[in-house]
This record gives sequence, structure tokens and C-alpha cells, in this order.
Amino acid sequence: MTSICMYFEVHQPMRLNRFSVFNIGSDADAPNYFNNKLNHEIFEKVAKKCYLPTNNLLLNLINEFDGKFRISFSLTGTFVEYCERFMPSVIDSFKKLFATGAVDMIEETYFHSLSGLYDDLDEFEEQVMMHRQMIKRLFNYDPKIFRNTEAIYDNRIAKKIGEMGYKGIITEGTEKILGWRSPNYLYRPINSDIKVLLRNYSLSDDIGFRFSSRHWPGFPLTADKYAHWMSRCEGDLINLFIDYETFGEHQWTETGIFDFLSHLPNEALKHEQLDFVTVSEAVDRYQPVGEIDVPWAISWADADRDVSTWLGNDMQFACFNELKDIGKKLKKRGDEELLNVWRRLQTSDHLYYVSTKGLEDGNVHAYFSHYDSPYDGFINYMNVLQDLKQKIS
Amino acid sequence: MKVAMIGWEYPPFKAGGLGTHCYGLTRSLADKNVKVDFYMPKTKHSAGNSGKKNLVIKEVGETEIFPYDRPEDKELAGQFFESVYRYNDLVVEKVKGNYDLIHCHDWLTMKAGVALKEKLGIPLVLSVHSTEYDRSGWICPNDWFINIEREGMEKADRIIAVSHFTKGVIVDKYGINPDKISVVHNAVYPIGEGEKQEIVLFLGRLTIQKGAEFFLRAAKKVLEYEPDSRFVVAGTGDMLPRLINQAVDMGISSKVIFTGLLTEEEVRHIYRISNVYVMPSVSEPFGITALEAVSAGTPTIASKTAGFSEAFQNCLRVDFWDTDEMANKIISLLRYDPLHKTLATEGKRELDLFTWDRVAEKTIDVYNRVM
Repeated sequence: MTSICMYFEVHQPMRLNRFSVFNIGSDADAPNYFNNKLNHEIFEKVAKKCYLPTNNLLLNLINEFDGKFRISFSLTGTFVEYCERFMPSVIDSFKKLFATGAVDMIEETYFHSLSGLYDDLDEFEEQVMMHRQMIKRLFNYDPKIFRNTEAIYDNRIAKKIGEMGYKGIITEGTEKILGWRSPNYLYRPINSDIKVLLRNYSLSDDIGFRFSSRHWPGFPLTADKYAHWMSRCEGDLINLFIDYETFGEHQWTETGIFDFLSHLPNEALKHEQLDFVTVSEAVDRYQPVGEIDVPWAISWADADRDVSTWLGNDMQFACFNELKDIGKKLKKRGDEELLNVWRRLQTSDHLYYVSTKGLEDGNVHAYFSHYDSPYDGFINYMNVLQDLKQKIS
Repeated sequence: MKVAMIGWEYPPFKAGGLGTHCYGLTRSLADKNVKVDFYMPKTKHSAGNSGKKNLVIKEVGETEIFPYDRPEDKELAGQFFESVYRYNDLVVEKVKGNYDLIHCHDWLTMKAGVALKEKLGIPLVLSVHSTEYDRSGWICPNDWFINIEREGMEKADRIIAVSHFTKGVIVDKYGINPDKISVVHNAVYPIGEGEKQEIVLFLGRLTIQKGAEFFLRAAKKVLEYEPDSRFVVAGTGDMLPRLINQAVDMGISSKVIFTGLLTEEEVRHIYRISNVYVMPSVSEPFGITALEAVSAGTPTIASKTAGFSEAFQNCLRVDFWDTDEMANKIISLLRYDPLHKTLATEGKRELDLFTWDRVAEKTIDVYNRVM
């Protein structure tokens, strides 16, 4: 039996207001860094195109297949805050999905941050605990599986997650750590007793990136073709980890992405050797077949599958270091409101907008950015950080 | 393939991007085995021997005045237009031989191009480096020029525009079929980096089109926050007296240096030592100066509508009238080293795409389409 483990990342960042050097230090205590209007607009747009229709479709599929179709989600803290502020019906639809018993929830840092890369992991741990409390409050559930921001993973993070009591952790099934080995099994970190789920990036990206690409030999991708490909995979598990916004947002309705999704369970279950599991069930059912050793952080982002998406140029390092320095000062000071602002500024997207990576990745970056260029992204973000720094000195 | 190219200026003597373009293009065409006879007005400073077997510079007549724009002085303007006509007539007379096509540049050479196409019965390619709308800064463009330009564009078999922005103007304002227009972005011979100083540079003709007044307004704002910064306005033009007055009125004249006209070597030097280059053009078909600045390791803030901005990724873009944002970006470049460094490094890397070889290749593609 080979189990299909489908998992969706659901995230929206808190985009910044335009903030010029002339705004630095101008506004005494109540900083207004976040562009509520833009954030509201984008959230509503994506909710209507993606979150609500896809949740609805998935709920119907789970009911239709009587729980044989099983999926997992991770919801970031910033995403949930938007739901609660702008459209509580979105959260209600996730609650309905969870109540079917065929849906699992995954842990992560509340702010979808890079705190897992800081010099010590106390801030990371606090943000994971914040997420834990949020999931408990919404779903009365303690997640068993952890996935760090954009699947950023190294030995240190794996060890910490093991110590915090999780059973499993998710990252990218890249050759960098696997060599000749297959991502379709569970592995064990060299320094911890938890299990590692590895994303099958080839099959995942067929849906996430290539689905509507006419230059791709697999085009047009149909559910029966895709199910056939999966039926021929060797291994225990096929981990399909996908941005939730793929459905209706990155891939528009017109591409046929919803038709594909609606036929997928039926087509997959036609093959006797295939079934669906949640991430917790995958970890309960299967055993690791080997160890992975990851001294340098990997992720599922861009073609490089490392952290260069966020820390790839001097501008990104400058912001990252500034952010860390501000945090040290803030924690000594203990100002709850500014601490919260600082945490929202840690959302990895702010650094993602500053990436200058060229060619294909650069185009992907531009698609997701509201800035004219990474340089504008830097100026704005750095100006905000300078303002916050002045407020605490 | 043999081309009769009708130009107006050629280094060492040049007033604008047209001369720079013709220099780079003809030399690379010659290297690619296209035979080019380059016709230009005879000057005191001879362009001389090209040093290339396939490229012959042919100077015709005797023309002394070289304003790229329309001179404001009425008498000078009269002489200027007359000399343009005289040059065009002379070229039509002089161009003889077995050419495969005519290639002319801007309104200054269009009449000759059209006449030669008819006289020799061969195709005409027209490069548009700027239009009357650009040169007037979109304020009262002159029909006299527009009519010459429209006739040239209509008669040309194919048009090369230096940017999509300019292609848009040719389509919208001159009513030309877009399928007839190819866009070929400009290129640069890299200048090389120097020891940087805290200098913010404007370099260009001091005309309405180039927007130096917006540069001064931004300078005023920057100096309120960064009082140690210095500003250089390099170049000359009919706006010079007005700009000097503007600087005095704003109380920043001790921080702004007006250099007047610079030699080629002085231009390279000022690019090398400047920390920031600003190109606030009201209308800019391309803006080769921005590429020159980048090639000297100087990050560039360019007008959003400039052809350069549409073609080049590693730069900062502003609306020319938004002097607050211009100042924001200048200050950011002065304060944040990582921004400066990344723009300089990535900019130089991107320059590899902007070579005259590539311009020549794309131009040959255009030639092949009309032959």
C-alpha cells in the first residue's frame, strides 16, 4: 500500500504601508506599519477565489468518500487573524472540515517567521507555543506534526522539535539530503527520535507550478493521469505538500484546477494500492527507513531549495540582523505592544520581497510582491525597522 | 550586405544618445561583416578613419552648429534648420553605389532617407531615438517637426524604436502600424568603477525634457536630512541660467555644482566618483546615460517612463514629478550601504545583456526582414 499524504499551507502576510525615510521617527508611539486596506483587499479576493470554494469542495469530497479522502492543513497566525477580522466564515469552514475527522492540523511558528534561524531558539519556541495555543483555541486540538516556515529545516531545528514533543516534522525531499534515496519513505534526523516527512517535489510541483503550463509534456494534467503516475510510485508515502492558494489563485478556475481536484480522490481510489492519510496517520503507520543529516538549512523555496530566498543578498542580511538586534533590546524592555509589532515584522515574506534572484525564480518573486522591485522592498522594510529601532532606544 | 547609414553626429563630437548609438552600432555591424558607409556632416573635429575594414565614415558638406534640440535663439534656430536641410540635400546627392538598404536616424536625417529610398529604389530602415513629443517635454510640440517625423515613419519599410515606450508614442501619436516597429534597447561600452565620493549626479542636456529642475527640488529635500551630501549638475543647455537661479532661490547653491559642458574624459570621471545617478527625465525614449552610470558602479534612480526603466531591472524607479520619493531613494542610497552595494553589483551583472553586439544582431534581423 502506498499512502497519499496531501497537505496544504495556508498563509497571508501582513504587508507594509509605504514608509519613507521622512516617516522615520515622525510618529511618536503608535506605529502604523501595516497596510490594512491592501491586506483586507487581498485577503477578501483570495478568500473568494480560493479559501471558500476550495474548503467547500474538500468538505464535499470528504463526505462523498466517507472519510477515505483525508487531508492536512497548516494555518499561520497572521492568516487566522485576517479571518477573524475580515471574514469569520473562512475560519468556520475550516472548523467544519476539521470536525469531519478526516482533517489534521499542523504546527508552525505563529508568524511564519525565520526565527528558526536565529542564534538561539527561544523566540522560535515562543512562536510555536503561540501557534499551539491558537490551534487549541480554534480546534481544541494539539498538533502532532510540525512544519517550519516554507519547510526550512536543519539538524538544530529537528532536535528542538523533538524536544518539544512532536512526533514528526516536514521538509523538502531534495537530493541535497537524500542523494539516491527516495522521498517516498519516512526518515529519522541524526540527532532526534522524531520522523521526517519529505515532500515529493516532482509530483507536488506538477500541481503547484506546472499544472497550467502548456510547454510541459504532462499538459493537460488530468486526475486519472495523475492517479496513474502515483499508482506506479514505489514507497510507503507520497507527500504532496502544496500552497493552498494554488487552487483558484495561482492556478485560476479557468485552468481546470478545481475539476482536477474534484476528480482526484475517485481516480486515486480506483487503484487498489493507493489510499489517503493525514500527516499524523502517516507517522503512526510507517517506520523510518534511514537517517538524514542536514547541517545547513534547506527549504522548499525556489530552485535552490535553501534559505537564499530570504537570505541571499546583502540587503536581506542587513534587515535580518537589524531585526534580531531590535528583538534583543525589545525583550529586555518588555513592551508588549512593540513586541507584537516586531513579531509581525518577522514574517518571512518581508524578506522574500527583497530577493534579487534572477530568471525564473525572480519572476515568481515579482508575482507575489506588491513592490515595484526588491530594492523598493528593502527601502520600505528597512525604513520601518529604523523607525522601530528609534522607538525603543 | 551593404548599408548606407545616414547619421547626424559621431564621437568624438556628439550631443546625445543618437551619436553614441551610431558609434556602437556601426562598429559592431562592421564586426559582423555588414559593410557600412556612415554619412555625417563634416565638422572641424574629423571623425576620421574608423579603423575597421567594413566601416567607412563619409563626411559631407560643412555644418557648424550642432544643437540636438531646437535652439531657443531665433537666429541660431534659423541657421540650424537651414543647415539640416542643406545636409539632407547634400546626402541625397552624395549617396551613390550598390547599397542593399538605407538606414537613417531621427528627424535630422529623415528627409534624406525618404528621398534616397525613392531615388535608389531600395528599402528604408528608420531608427527613432526620440520624437518631437519627447524633446518638447510634451509641452507644445511643434507640428513642423511632427510632420517630418510622420512622413519618415510612413515611408520607412521598418522602424526601430529604442523602447516600447517610444514604440507606443509612434503608434499612438503618429498613427503607425505597430507590426512595422521593432524595439531594440540601447547598449553601453562599460566605463569602469572609481573611488566613490558622496556625490549625487545629474548629467544631461539642460532642457525641459531632462527634468533637472526636479533633481534640484529633490536635492533641497535631501539636504534637510543629509546636510553633508553634494550635488552635481553636469552638462549644458538653454535651462542653465534658470537652474542656477533656482538653486540660489532654494538656498542650496553652496551644495550644488554646475559643471557646464564636460569632455568625454570628464564625463567618465564624474560617473566614476559619483555615489548616486539620477535621471529625472520628463520624457526619455531610452537614456543611455543611465547605462553609463551603472557601468561605472553608480546606482541609478530613473524616471519610470524612461525606456531604460522598462528594460533594466536593477535600478530604482520614480515618477519624475515625485521629488519626495526621489529624495527618499537618494537618502536611502546614501544611508544604506547594502542597498548601494547590491544595486551596484547586480546592475553590473545585468549590463552583460546590454552590448552593442546584441544591438547589431537585432538590427541585422530588422535588415533581413526588409530585404
